[in-house]
Amino acid sequence: MTESVFFWIFAVLTVLLAAQVVLRRNPVHAAVSLVGAFFFLSGIYLLLAAQLIAILQVMVYAGAVMVLFVFVIMLLNLKEEEMGHERLTAWKIIGGASIVVTTGLIAYLALGNAYPTGLLRDMARTQPGFGSVKGVGQALYIASVLPFEVTSLLLTIAVVGAVVVAKGKI
Amino acid sequence: MDNLASLRFFLPESILTVAVLAMFVQDLLTRRSARRVVYLTAGALVWLAIVAFATLQMPAGTASLFGGLLQHDPLRMFFTWVFLGATLLTIVIAPNSGQISPNRLGEFFALLFALVLGMYLMASASDLLTIYLSIETVSLVSYVLTGFRRGDRKSNEAALKYVIYGGVASGVMLYGMSLLYGLFATTRILGEAGIAAQLSDVTSRIFLAHAFGGQPAAQLALIVAIVFVLAGVGYKIASVPFHMWCPDVYEGAPTPFTAFLSVGPKAAGFAVAIRFFFATFERQLPDGAFAQVGDVPWPAIIGIISAATMTLGNLTALVQTNLKRMLAYSSIAHAGYLLMGLAAASAAGVQSILVYLVIYLFMNVGAFLVVIAVANARGGEQISDFRGLSVAAPVTALTLAVFLFSLTGLPPLAGFTGKYLVFAALVQRGGFWNVILAVIGVLNSAISLFYYAKIIKAMYLDEPLDRTPMRVPRLYTGLLVALAVPLLVFGVYWGPLVRWASTAFGGPTPI
Amino acid sequence: MVGPVHYLVLAAILFALGAAGVVIRRNAIIVLMSIEIMLNAVNLSFLAFSRFPLVPVAPMQAGIYAGQVAVFFVIAVAAAEAAVGLAIVIAVFRSRTSVHVDEFDTLKL
Repeated sequence: MTESVFFWIFAVLTVLLAAQVVLRRNPVHAAVSLVGAFFFLSGIYLLLAAQLIAILQVMVYAGAVMVLFVFVIMLLNLKEEEMGHERLTAWKIIGGASIVVTTGLIAYLALGNAYPTGLLRDMARTQPGFGSVKGVGQALYIASVLPFEVTSLLLTIAVVGAVVVAKGKI
Repeated sequence: MDNLASLRFFLPESILTVAVLAMFVQDLLTRRSARRVVYLTAGALVWLAIVAFATLQMPAGTASLFGGLLQHDPLRMFFTWVFLGATLLTIVIAPNSGQISPNRLGEFFALLFALVLGMYLMASASDLLTIYLSIETVSLVSYVLTGFRRGDRKSNEAALKYVIYGGVASGVMLYGMSLLYGLFATTRILGEAGIAAQLSDVTSRIFLAHAFGGQPAAQLALIVAIVFVLAGVGYKIASVPFHMWCPDVYEGAPTPFTAFLSVGPKAAGFAVAIRFFFATFERQLPDGAFAQVGDVPWPAIIGIISAATMTLGNLTALVQTNLKRMLAYSSIAHAGYLLMGLAAASAAGVQSILVYLVIYLFMNVGAFLVVIAVANARGGEQISDFRGLSVAAPVTALTLAVFLFSLTGLPPLAGFTGKYLVFAALVQRGGFWNVILAVIGVLNSAISLFYYAKIIKAMYLDEPLDRTPMRVPRLYTGLLVALAVPLLVFGVYWGPLVRWASTAFGGPTPI
Repeated sequence: MVGPVHYLVLAAILFALGAAGVVIRRNAIIVLMSIEIMLNAVNLSFLAFSRFPLVPVAPMQAGIYAGQVAVFFVIAVAAAEAAVGLAIVIAVFRSRTSVHVDEFDTLKL
């Protein structure tokens, strides 16, 4: 019951804020809406018993990544006329809305009856401590140590690459 | 195999990681040296030689590494040699190309090695997670290298387009992967509880159908998932509908990297596609033939994409005036031809892809090398810049003619061998639609003759732009001849190439 | 009662919102944000399947966390991609003074 209440609150707020990102003209407004969307999404992650991921979502996404976005928006410091004409016509909005509705409908058709009644496996109930830092951490460092190291190299390359592309004269 | 025991099979990748960091350090150390281009190129070649040596030392046979995350097998080894060939050519071409300043050559080589590492991982990935990470490694480095010419508007805009299309493609691919994870509750493709094992296990298939309240619904979810995963792979090999980045990126990127991009990541994308589809939906029978597992019509999906890709690539190439853009559309068309081999869904089909990729490496890098030489000497990449090249630079013009006729697929050049093997595999597989697909392929080859011949006409028949001999670096002339000769040899004697491909996949089959 | 399908349909709607953003917006920074929404939808889908597995999961310890581990890597890679993407936006802005995808006329779409 509590899950239902929180799910609907978080879901509605996430979708509303994500729609703001797509529809707002000003990039700063979009970025702030996105921070909110990520924050409420992390609430949904908590409902899905993914505690570690929920914290990472707030720290990495709503924190670091969005700071980067806002920083770049401020750095470019776009003036009103430089933002150009965002021709957001009624047709575009109708088109976007129809994409959303169709995809939701297809997802419901494809997955709606995926779970047979009476056979629902709920890891949050059957596995004590599911999604805890300890469990996920062990899975991460033992079974997935190779992807972990590859990701570390990927991040190094991304840092170097960002400098290579964007820096001025050395 | 557990993590520690797997390291033995992971040696080339480990050395590549060290090479990436070492190239950065060497870049810093040689900063003030007057001969830094020589030092850096030599350093890169030494590291490449060490990687090649380590690759050569890999044991034969098949092994599952890191608990099923990677798969070591002859297919992986075959692709690593294609990657090493493309990298060697790029390292040799880059310093003289005039598109990468000597100050930034070290960065270029370091990022190139990171790209090779990503492709090595793509060639062996056997888990959805490693497939995603390896594709993403290759993509990230490609974005950076596309935008490598700082302050160059075209280069930067091409990189931005590449990032946006790449982000969408990898998002769609990930969504497909999450659906696959939902259907099978694992990301492993191979292994005892992997997707392949579950699909070939009849009880679990019946369970899946039951769970979805009937077969068609489960089927729909599975097909949606596969089409989505194909988006990521299709983006790497530049197939419809994820080809839009290709012309802009090929035009905007530094040409040595364009040459690499048209061969390396495309081959790596095919490595992922071959491993994914054949491991998941096909089972090899004792006599060497493949039988389909589950009722997923993946050859039909690939066949439709293939027909659309080659037709669109060839028709758009007809109207191009910039040679780099034309070669981009031609590389889209070639992705379509290669996909035909995959649509055949047979060992012969995959072997034809492998042979085609090796031949494609020679002819496409060669064509781009001529573009670099002409652009440096005449300052342009338009077809009009190639007028009368046969007078100004006879050897360069002759080799370009060889490359272009080979790309068309005219006998007795190697391009014909590749196309012949692909068509033969399709026809051998039989069935109405396969033959139709082969016919579409032949018609497309005929169309492609028009635009390739346009360049040859400009070189040999048009009024020369400039009669004085064109200056081509001796290194380039040597390389061009070295790339053109194998095309003549493989055109008439392709036995060894086919034997090599058949040891890599599916075992000996009569082609 | 909220079940797995609710989470999955929410994921699909968010994914579609992100895709719609990529299609209708022209500002490169907002397009990059829309891509982030798509990746978050994927994460939600992974986590929903991770809590409510359709088939009996492998008994090994790592098996039950495969979905959560995947999300961890998606977050890391998305951060890397955002960094490179924004660096390229800055580079383009330096040479163009516009961040609009449509206004890139040097290269044709």
